[in-house]
Amino acid sequence: MNKVYVLGGAQTDFERNWKKEGKGMVALLKEVMSDGLNEAGLSFDDVSELNRDNRIACFVGNFIAEKYTDQGHLGAFLTEVHPAFYGVPSARYEAACASSSVAIDAAQTKIKAGDYDVAVVVGWELMKTVDAIKGGDFLGRAAYYEKEGKGIELPFPKLFGKLADETLKKYSQLDRDRYLDALAKISVINYQNAKRNPLAQTRRWFMNYEQARNRGTETNPLVGGLLGVSDCSQVTDGAAVVVLCSEAFISERKIAGKPVLKGYGHRVAPMLFDKKIADSKSSAYILPWTRQAVLDAYRRSGLSVDDMDVFETHDCFTSSEYAAVSAFGLTEPGKEYEAIESGMISFTGTKPINPSGGLIGCGHPVGASGARMFLDLYKQVTGTAGGYQVEDVKNGMMLNIGGSATTNYVFVMGAEE
Amino acid sequence: MIKTVTVIGVTGTMGANVAGIFASFGDADVFCVGRSIEKVKASLPKIVKSVKADGIAKKLIPADMNQLEECVAKSDLVFESCAESFTVKKEIAKRVGTVLKESALSCTGTSGLSITEIASCYPERLRGHFFGVHMFNPPYSLPLCELIATEYSDREKYEELKEYLDKTLLRTVVEVKDSPAFLGNRIGFQFINEAMQYAEVYKDNGGVDYIDAILGSFTGRTMPPLVTSDFVGLDVHKAIVDNVCQNTDDYARGTFVLPDYISGLIKNGKLGRKSGGGLYQMIKYENGLKRSTVYDIHTGLYRDVIPYVFPFAEEMKKYISEGEYANAFEVLIHNHSQEAEICLSFLLKYIIYSLYSAKHLGDTVEAADDVMATGFNWCPPMAMYQALSAVVDMPTLIKERIPQICNDVDVDLLLSCVKPSKYDYRIYFKSGR
Repeated sequence: MNKVYVLGGAQTDFERNWKKEGKGMVALLKEVMSDGLNEAGLSFDDVSELNRDNRIACFVGNFIAEKYTDQGHLGAFLTEVHPAFYGVPSARYEAACASSSVAIDAAQTKIKAGDYDVAVVVGWELMKTVDAIKGGDFLGRAAYYEKEGKGIELPFPKLFGKLADETLKKYSQLDRDRYLDALAKISVINYQNAKRNPLAQTRRWFMNYEQARNRGTETNPLVGGLLGVSDCSQVTDGAAVVVLCSEAFISERKIAGKPVLKGYGHRVAPMLFDKKIADSKSSAYILPWTRQAVLDAYRRSGLSVDDMDVFETHDCFTSSEYAAVSAFGLTEPGKEYEAIESGMISFTGTKPINPSGGLIGCGHPVGASGARMFLDLYKQVTGTAGGYQVEDVKNGMMLNIGGSATTNYVFVMGAEE
Repeated sequence: MIKTVTVIGVTGTMGANVAGIFASFGDADVFCVGRSIEKVKASLPKIVKSVKADGIAKKLIPADMNQLEECVAKSDLVFESCAESFTVKKEIAKRVGTVLKESALSCTGTSGLSITEIASCYPERLRGHFFGVHMFNPPYSLPLCELIATEYSDREKYEELKEYLDKTLLRTVVEVKDSPAFLGNRIGFQFINEAMQYAEVYKDNGGVDYIDAILGSFTGRTMPPLVTSDFVGLDVHKAIVDNVCQNTDDYARGTFVLPDYISGLIKNGKLGRKSGGGLYQMIKYENGLKRSTVYDIHTGLYRDVIPYVFPFAEEMKKYISEGEYANAFEVLIHNHSQEAEICLSFLLKYIIYSLYSAKHLGDTVEAADDVMATGFNWCPPMAMYQALSAVVDMPTLIKERIPQICNDVDVDLLLSCVKPSKYDYRIYFKSGR
């Protein structure tokens, strides 16, 4: 099997509201695609040339543009971005908030198999086309809509509020205050990290422990069970591009210093939240399939948690980042608070999580988040993360989930040995 | 460490918003001082709201002017945000100066009065601790902070304040000279006032809404310039341009002369949004319907806003909506209608005046970009230069389109200072009115 290299990419400024700018998906894709190719060292002419010999393909990650922007057939839509995409194999991949991870997975598979030499992955979502309630209802389709979404206002905060409840139930030793404290700290770390990221949605917003810890106030209302607004990721417009390539392409172009995709994990848990919890009863982990996806990625990469210098995780809510801590192997299950209280996962800690600010700080354009995390791993591993660069990163891991931790995608990226 | 701050004038919009910044990002206890304690107390919820954080409520301590000395004596930093009057500001400076801690910093939020003159009201040993700190409204979303030193300034104190504004309060700090309107307002209000003048010149074409339709958000800003001045307040606008007019004499001085019709509106209490109408007036009917009207310079009456359709503007908006910026700029440059020519000349004049002002009033040429992007949310001048450069040779275009200014200033010298902008022009060019 061929090695898979990462050439780089780009993301849009997640602070932007494209509707307010009077722009739509065409402008979004044109901007991110030209920036992404440029950062990866490719031009549209390169795309045309590679396509002449059928050596390039595109993989589009998007959850639900049919609802937000009334548009489907998103793989083909790239032909509207630039004529260089005429004839380029391209399709859309969907797995709710893990949509662009499944696109990355398809891309790496084609390169491993030797079908293509260059794979362009673009993940995107425009979510500010509708109001929060309507958007929340659209997102309900990432759960079992008929049973968990339909007619429920903001179904996802409620599902991840349930995850918080279930976490407290499962680990009876876990003090409720200690847990809520840890969740508040997770929020604060993500907001603080976002301050260093010039493309983060919340980079100018204010958040501190006091604000995050006091839930149920006017400026931090409860949105799902124990969770407040400070525990939630954002509604975001955005796109991210990452470009993968084969070893042949690397040697042909005499490219040096690019990281490799070392391993992946992909596991799907029961769709319904209640079934998920029933299924987890026999496990020490609250999200056993998330943990399994991480283990698969470690096994495939031949690396362990000790080899990971940085993590990007799917903090759609603080309760999901909390569960990810033990899934990564940073603590025993049920003891996740240790990594938070000790400072292990903070920016200057030994195992920083989300130096980018994550979904809470950086923003969460659902179909783009996987590609954005992958891009951030690339930046960290190549030392190009600027203000949010973690020191001495050789390897990093990302976890991107879809639904209520239903689809679980993990990637390990690192410097070539 | 700045742990305690006094903000004087919290009942004003800017005072309240700045108090919010100190209490949140600065995590400081803030004495909120105003003339009436009732009004101060009533403004506290506004302060909390300005940073969207109930958590700061307990850090806000209301006080009235009688308690000023008591508050200042306990403070590490004092921020004065009172009426734009030398008399008021000097009086306060004298009072602050009598009790200010030896280690403390003091600043004024004036948007254009001489900092040096106010500093002279402090006792000699404290003059070096006094600075101008000019923020933009609302500071929660506009991070620009102009920092102004004086001839008395203590270098160490200056660096301490700069570091605090930058690292703790997360402001975009731009160091500017103590000159009328400083840098951001000098550039921004030049543009707005000249737009007001053009509205008068083109009053037979519609005037106010005609010029706004030419300089809308598709030209690199959030809203058209004359709508902006209604937000700012025409009285505030007048204070700023009059100050520049009276106290400066650069080549653009004539463009700061306030048109008579604006003075007339001010006299009639038509100050803008805050007084329910200014250049524009929204009429609300009992049945909930709204009608947007505009001041017609020719008749002196309000009439319905005209939905202008200029082919160049429509084409630009269409291209911008699809992310085809270069095509939009091609249209702007190659369309020779009166409206397109006015539009382009404004953008070119803006670039030149920004570079000129940064050279004379700022620390670096980048200062012009920082102030316009982070204080006005306008496409900053060097980013605009870069954007247009993609389709045209800029020096040639400038000489062709604004020849009179090329006689007044050394355009080649100014253009030789242009650097690649750190701002992305695409964000600012919008496809709207």
